[in-house]
Amino acid sequence: MTTTHPATAAPPAAGGPPLLRFAGLGKTYPTPKGPYTVLENVHLDIAQGEFICLIGHSGCGKSTLLNMVSGFATPTAGAVLLNGKPIEKPGPDRMVVFQGYALLPWMTAYENVFLGIDSVKPNLPKSEKHDITMEHLELVGLTADADKKITQISGGMKQRVAIARALAIRPEVLILDEPFGALDAITKEELQEELLKIWNTQKCTVLMITHDIDEALFLADRLVMMTNGPAASIGEDLTIPFARPRSREDIMEDPLYYEVRNQALDFLYNRFAHDEDEA
Amino acid sequence: MTTLVDVQGIEKNFPLSGGGNYLALKGIDLQIRKGEFVSLIGHSGCGKSTLLNMIAGLDQPTGGVVLLEGEEVKRPGPDKMVVFQHYSLLPWLTVSENIGLAVDEVMPQISTAERAAVVEDHIKMVGLDHAKDKLPLQLSGGMRQRVSIARALAIKPKLLLLDEPFGALDALTRGNLQEKLMQICNENELTAVMVTHDVDEAVLLSDRIVMLTNGPGSKIGGILEVDIPRPRQRLTVVHHPSYYSLRSEMIYFLNRQKRVKQWQAKPHKVLARHGLEKVNLDLGFVPLAACAPLAIAEAKGFFQKHGLDEVQLVRETSWRGVVDGLLDRTLDAALMPSGMPVWMTAGGHGGDPVPVVSSLTLSRNGNEITLAKRLAEQGVSTVEDYRSWLRGHEREPHRIGIVHPASMHNLLLRYWLAANGIDPDQDVHLQTLPPAQMLADLKDGSIDGYCIGEPWNYRANREGHGVPIVGDLEIWAGHPGKVLGAREDWALAYPNTHIALTKALLEACRYCADPNHWPEMSALLSDRRYLGMKAELIHFSAQNNPGDGFAPHGEPHHLFFGAGLNRPSRTEHLWIMTQLARWAEIPFPRNYVELLERICQVAVFSTAARELGLEEVSWQRQSIELFDGRPFNSEDPIGYLNAVSLHRDFSVAEIAIGVPRAMAA
Repeated sequence: MTTTHPATAAPPAAGGPPLLRFAGLGKTYPTPKGPYTVLENVHLDIAQGEFICLIGHSGCGKSTLLNMVSGFATPTAGAVLLNGKPIEKPGPDRMVVFQGYALLPWMTAYENVFLGIDSVKPNLPKSEKHDITMEHLELVGLTADADKKITQISGGMKQRVAIARALAIRPEVLILDEPFGALDAITKEELQEELLKIWNTQKCTVLMITHDIDEALFLADRLVMMTNGPAASIGEDLTIPFARPRSREDIMEDPLYYEVRNQALDFLYNRFAHDEDEA
Repeated sequence: MTTLVDVQGIEKNFPLSGGGNYLALKGIDLQIRKGEFVSLIGHSGCGKSTLLNMIAGLDQPTGGVVLLEGEEVKRPGPDKMVVFQHYSLLPWLTVSENIGLAVDEVMPQISTAERAAVVEDHIKMVGLDHAKDKLPLQLSGGMRQRVSIARALAIKPKLLLLDEPFGALDALTRGNLQEKLMQICNENELTAVMVTHDVDEAVLLSDRIVMLTNGPGSKIGGILEVDIPRPRQRLTVVHHPSYYSLRSEMIYFLNRQKRVKQWQAKPHKVLARHGLEKVNLDLGFVPLAACAPLAIAEAKGFFQKHGLDEVQLVRETSWRGVVDGLLDRTLDAALMPSGMPVWMTAGGHGGDPVPVVSSLTLSRNGNEITLAKRLAEQGVSTVEDYRSWLRGHEREPHRIGIVHPASMHNLLLRYWLAANGIDPDQDVHLQTLPPAQMLADLKDGSIDGYCIGEPWNYRANREGHGVPIVGDLEIWAGHPGKVLGAREDWALAYPNTHIALTKALLEACRYCADPNHWPEMSALLSDRRYLGMKAELIHFSAQNNPGDGFAPHGEPHHLFFGAGLNRPSRTEHLWIMTQLARWAEIPFPRNYVELLERICQVAVFSTAARELGLEEVSWQRQSIELFDGRPFNSEDPIGYLNAVSLHRDFSVAEIAIGVPRAMAA
């Protein structure tokens, strides 16, 4: 009798260039007191299909970093390369989900998702747009709530709509900026589990900012930890070794859980401890 | 220590808008000592904030009473200050004005100079010197929350109440603030009650953690004592073995609450077929090599063969899950440590005695005691070495991990230590830990060793973190390991099912005993439904890997089937009874003969064996003798107990287990 072993984490890209590459990325803002460097010398390669969590104290330049991936900001040094080409402006190949949802509140869940598709692929037949909308609402478990207005649904449901909208455009990279930070613990856990399921079926590449070590341990292939600003860079790139599909209980049964968790705690509260007053 | 807050029999009923009532809390009793930090944890809607509000006087119970220093709490007041998640600072006042206002309200009589000093001291206390003239809007969330803590403390309350104080902050800011609060509480010897759903926060800050069950009618489901010395620091506490075990306890509790709710939401009909009273069974197990008979019975169709069409194996991460599953009847039966039937029947779990029966011993042997590599490096390779090493390291804590007090690991480890002149309570500290954490702790250096079943000894040795010091074959070769256990009322309600289950598992045991099947069993158990680890780490005997240095202490290891191996033995359960009493886990039952008759379902076993044509395994085992050569006299268990060199002050008591009664369907 044979049994299959659980599949391990997504392998790094063999040979070819990574999907996303941060090549000596830096960002300096001019200020009245002189130039202020937020990020300096950031190097990171992300393979197609990887799930990366980025963690760091407030003020470490995480959002600046995301803004350069999404194309809302341009680097002052180095570059972010997607499939080998520098990112210069926003595009549907990279979709961002924010903590504050950024949905249009006067519209329904359906209309929010539909609008996203419509703005990226205006020439698609309406029936196809409809199908894609419904497919993605189903993916996040909102079929029954499609016609509810954003103001009528809970925070967890709003975040589901935002995820559906982002995925409906079929981005190569899904960028999540603390997507679950505002949710209560139980909703947060549910959404994390759903996100993993979606990531498994869609095989998209995820870059997620979080403040929560346990969230990263549950979700990510790698936990990238940033040093404190100014001139922040990547301090440690920790591989999360747990087999997939994961369950919270299973990972706690792995002795490595305690080691990896303590290592991340040590980085954030000891080696790069941070006092918020200085921010 | 004096009691500051006394919560007595609190009940809270809310009238519903559509008529009727919602019973939020029921039967809450809690005493909080002066200087204590207590956390309340539970799922949303469990009434933890309601309880806090009643302690604060913001709400009144519908039954029972809250006393603060003996006086009934009837209204809010400056002697009990509440800090909410949402700061509630006045936005048009600066930091010092916000604090000053509270001082003016409560202490109008003090002089201007005194007032200024109070305000300044408390701003300093929370480290906001540089921001005292800023408005709340100019501050980060963490800083605002520090202002509200300073404001609460400035008026010197007797009691500080915190309702998810850091819930709105990101995880990293929260961490910094927790340390600050802890420092303030220590320096000022504050008494505090905090509502939280953050398990790390609860362990870090609390002296005790009160866990509330789900509503309606929430009650206290358990109280954890946090035995981590103060002052605490986030990065050092995580290396204390209690840290992750307490954290696991809370996560287990919260998950269990969730699971029970889901379980209750589903219909649970008893399906009777094939002349069996119930064919849909939920069987609990814990992922260890000894769970092989259950996995094999499922994989090889032995359950179906005996008419049990719908058997679900329920994987529990700890033995605690098995105990709770039997207590709340979400499990029909389970694989359990051989001491558990006696332990539960005698009320060792802390509630009323729950008679638990066993009709089958599923495995024998399989345990080892592993000591940390660092001890081996200091030359500790025998128990004599360990004893003298302990003498030379008296000031350090010496913890040894076990999986459950009712497990044979605990009893054999204690027996072995005591017989070798090491007091298992005085010279070392035995601590119940989840297996994966044991290995991490062994590597981390925070425990001396552990006693456990496979695969954890093999793994420690192979990964270079520990060295097996003694195997169970050298303590008691052939001791019972795991047994099949079920509630007595279940067994009486479903007698034919009980026999069928015993038959299916006895056949599985026979299958597991054949060395030719071991590679297959390792592969099967490596699946995540069971152990979820590489097959090469799962061993049933040392014969698999001669020469890899493992299990140097004798072989074969696991025994699953054979003459006298599977039949439940009254003598063995009696020995277990003496050992549990010896270490004060239970009183020694005066009516032990009655308990043994009820626990050991020899008739069920014999019927099963006979119907399978396996009469030869029904042979009675020899008398018990462990490695120290002290014979066990089953005719005089109390005499035996009094004669052992080392024991706690045990008591002898009648255990009232009533008359045998079948569970209502």
